[in-house]
Amino acid sequence: MTFLAPWFLAGLAALAVPVVVHLINRQRKTVVAFPSLMFLRKIPYRSVRRQKLRHLLLFALRCLVLALLVAAFARPFFDRRAAAAAAATGARERVILLDRSYSMSYGARWTDAVAAARRAVSEMGGNDRTTLVLFARDAAAATEPTGSRPQLERAIAAAAPGDGATRYGPAIALASRMLEGSNLPRHEVLIISDFQRSGWVRQDEVRVPPGTTVTTVDVARGDTPDLAVAQATADRDRAGDLHTVTVAARVTNTGGEPRTIDATLELGGRPAATLRATVPARGAAQVRFPAVTVPGGATRGVVRIPKDALPANNAFHFTVALGDAVSVLVIEPARPRANQSLFLQRALGIGDQPTFRVDVRRADAVTPGDLANRAIVVLNEVSLPVGSVGARLRQMVDAGAGLLVVAGDVRGDRPPAEWLPALPVRLGPVVDRTRDAGGSVAQVDYGHPAFEQFSAPRSGDFSTAHVFRYRALRETGASAVVARFDDGAPAVVEHRLGRGKVVFWASSIDEYWTDLPLQPVFLPFVHELARHLARFRDSRSSYLVDEPLDLSRHGELTAMFNRTGDGGELVLQAPSGSRSVIPLSGPRQLAELHEAGFYELRGTNTAVGSGRPIAVNVDLAESDLSHFDPAELVAAVTAPAAGSTASAVGTTALPEDVERRQAVWWYLLMAALVCAGAESVLANRLSSRGNVVNAGLGSGP
Amino acid sequence: MRDRHPERSPGHPGRSDGSAFQDPIATFLDPTVLARIGNLELLARTVVEGFIGGLHRSPRLGASTDFAEHRPYSSGDDIRRIDWKLYARTDRYHVKEFEADTNTNLLVLLDVSPSMHYRGDGVSKLEYGSFLAASLAYFSSGQRDRVGLATFDRDLVDYVPCAARHLRLVLHALDRANRAASASGRSSAPEALGTTHGAAGNLRSSLSVPLQRLAEQTRRRSIVVLISDLYEEPDAVLSALAHVRGRGNELIVFHPLDRDELEFPFTDAANFLDIESGERMPLVPDYLRAEYRAVVRRHTETLARRSREQQVDYTLLDTSRPLDAALFGYLAARQRRGTART
Repeated sequence: MTFLAPWFLAGLAALAVPVVVHLINRQRKTVVAFPSLMFLRKIPYRSVRRQKLRHLLLFALRCLVLALLVAAFARPFFDRRAAAAAAATGARERVILLDRSYSMSYGARWTDAVAAARRAVSEMGGNDRTTLVLFARDAAAATEPTGSRPQLERAIAAAAPGDGATRYGPAIALASRMLEGSNLPRHEVLIISDFQRSGWVRQDEVRVPPGTTVTTVDVARGDTPDLAVAQATADRDRAGDLHTVTVAARVTNTGGEPRTIDATLELGGRPAATLRATVPARGAAQVRFPAVTVPGGATRGVVRIPKDALPANNAFHFTVALGDAVSVLVIEPARPRANQSLFLQRALGIGDQPTFRVDVRRADAVTPGDLANRAIVVLNEVSLPVGSVGARLRQMVDAGAGLLVVAGDVRGDRPPAEWLPALPVRLGPVVDRTRDAGGSVAQVDYGHPAFEQFSAPRSGDFSTAHVFRYRALRETGASAVVARFDDGAPAVVEHRLGRGKVVFWASSIDEYWTDLPLQPVFLPFVHELARHLARFRDSRSSYLVDEPLDLSRHGELTAMFNRTGDGGELVLQAPSGSRSVIPLSGPRQLAELHEAGFYELRGTNTAVGSGRPIAVNVDLAESDLSHFDPAELVAAVTAPAAGSTASAVGTTALPEDVERRQAVWWYLLMAALVCAGAESVLANRLSSRGNVVNAGLGSGP
Repeated sequence: MRDRHPERSPGHPGRSDGSAFQDPIATFLDPTVLARIGNLELLARTVVEGFIGGLHRSPRLGASTDFAEHRPYSSGDDIRRIDWKLYARTDRYHVKEFEADTNTNLLVLLDVSPSMHYRGDGVSKLEYGSFLAASLAYFSSGQRDRVGLATFDRDLVDYVPCAARHLRLVLHALDRANRAASASGRSSAPEALGTTHGAAGNLRSSLSVPLQRLAEQTRRRSIVVLISDLYEEPDAVLSALAHVRGRGNELIVFHPLDRDELEFPFTDAANFLDIESGERMPLVPDYLRAEYRAVVRRHTETLARRSREQQVDYTLLDTSRPLDAALFGYLAARQRRGTART
């Protein structure tokens, strides 16, 4: 039995108070002068019985109530660590899992965690080996398995909280792998964390090897009020040549008291506006800054609030990219029909996420220069170009541009020879469906990015559009049919060409062969298709720490480098200054975002500071400091797998945590309450008989 | 603290039945009323005249020198009283006894020890004793007796020899004793008593020493009236009285006790302080009262019985009761004896 607040035990001295008062002091307060005590001395002592305890049960109950209260305030708990430590013998293979998620920077958590890690190192036996693993969303060993305390101490000293979110699964999996390879007789995993509920997913079916002792050190303490900038959005507007943005931020407060804060908007690294806002307790408030004029290109924006106990979420980074308009070139026949490109042009002219800039050229007037800086080229019932224009277009598509081929009434059924090996799609004869009131787009691959928006019920019905004529597209296995007509003929076929995409639409894109442009789904369909082709699909103003960023899906980030013709590599510079090189070749170009702030993506020949900023913020899920019982985690990772024996479990925590879990004080208070009730009943009963004299002390027969 | 409605002893005259207040005698003899009279002589006169005026027959005894009887000579008898003629006939010493003459001695022995200072709700025992002594002296002086007074605690404090004209001296001596008691009473708060008396040591009165010294100083046989609270064992009391009784003196003992001493009406637990010794004793009176009363009753009964055996008149006085009980006791003793022997 150990006490968390042993100094309260001094209160036991209060037990002496009733005895002292009643045996020594009480009767001295009243003195009665009397002529002589001669007769009183003759009375047998049994009748006088002065200064003698009476009603021992009552007195014992009162002392017990007092003792229970004192013991409850001393907060006792049972410390099983010593017994557990004494029970085990032999060298240990120990893995210390030290949480370095950004929630660990809250208050004194990191200091406590480091102290706990150092304490664990200091308790290391002569033959023990220890590995320090730092983990957040991912886990990495900071040291090799070692018995060197200085090495471990240095690794602990070098560790610091990052910007990542907590995930226990990868860390425990790594520890398991390390322990499985150990030849020492005793295995132990020490988890030092704040045990956020968001970090543990029950579906993470990770387990430690049988016989492993899992101990925990919980550094979370008490209430965790926190202010965070949860989100910031920038609405763009244009007045003449001036571009303005209106930024609105949402600030959350998890504390029990309302907070008034000054929120500051920074654009381009300079303060643009500051607003005062009151955030209600356990609520959120929106701060809407006045419209601010921004220059072209990508501008860095930050919404800040004063730093609190968890500073990592006191700023929200975002980018305002006005230069991200998608340039679209529509090539129509030399003698086009009236309004042949009108519907497409008008549809793309609407909207700002992204903004489409559409230019229309006649096929006979197109030059290679017209293709420059185009993200999308639309061949509106025009044959694939040949010659210099065709070569340039082919080059662009290979580099990542999108090509939409509207089959329609185009002449010829096969691509030119220079396109042929790479584009194995043939245009078949015209299918006339006018006699059966037209066909419809019946089979859609809603998993395709262009149709994903329509997957939900009542989010767009393609079957209402009538297609009276279309070309029978013939594709080989290298292409993908994204949508089919009701007769099974391909309606939309996609083929990847290099880093770019070529999409075929079997009918026209005006009302010549179909009434699709007159249907409500036309506008979103064109927008989604254009975003897909231009790889603007996942365009966002900010990203999350540890979120995988596939640059091949973010044309808005790499478009400028396609234009400038930077070689085959890009440089990604982190807020801390560290750089990584990302090759532009290959299907996927993954960038790792481990820090909050602004990354800069630039070409190898691009000057520092002139690249494309990428805003990265901490995962707000980590800001949810909800706590869960470490025993829950220990039970899950030590549960016996099917067909195996149970793992040994030993949980260790800070004395405060052990005491809080055991809550012995609560039982003591209840016992004190019961004793107090019994004392009242007994006292009343004795009092009614007239025998009670001051706290069970007194004289009487 | 103290029960303000103590039980009344049955058959004892007093105020308990209310009729006493309508009795002029009782009114004159009420000690609380008498306490307002500052002059002891006036007080004594008031008592005696009021008392006598209420009687239906005069208690005055006629003067006489007639022979009464012979009695064997005992140690201490004046050899001048030996009847030598009878000795010649019988060869034994006999003393001639005569009917009382009117010029007898009245010597009042008043205990002025600290325990006599105790005051309950009314007058202190010392005041009560002083009233009684003054009244008896005045009464006797009116019969041309010689009156004297001796005050004592552990030893003789003041002594006024018996003489026909010593009434004033007796009253003055009583007045001094009361003044001395008042002076000490101002510092007799319970808190102070513990230190005062404790530091002074044991001031408990002792009858033996003063009575022995008094017996040595008195030559003539006297009517000796002892007024004391008799806080001694009955054997010690009777042993001390033998010093006086052995001289052929008539001895009348008045035993004044306060109502608190008789009834022990205290209710709250407290430290009880012995006024004379300074000793403290923590007590819960509720649980002692019955046994205390029994002990006191046994004590007074023993005193009364032993006194009768020693031919000593013993009267227990309650200081809250009128003085008539004491005066009746005195006169009854005189009458029971018929005459005083000289």
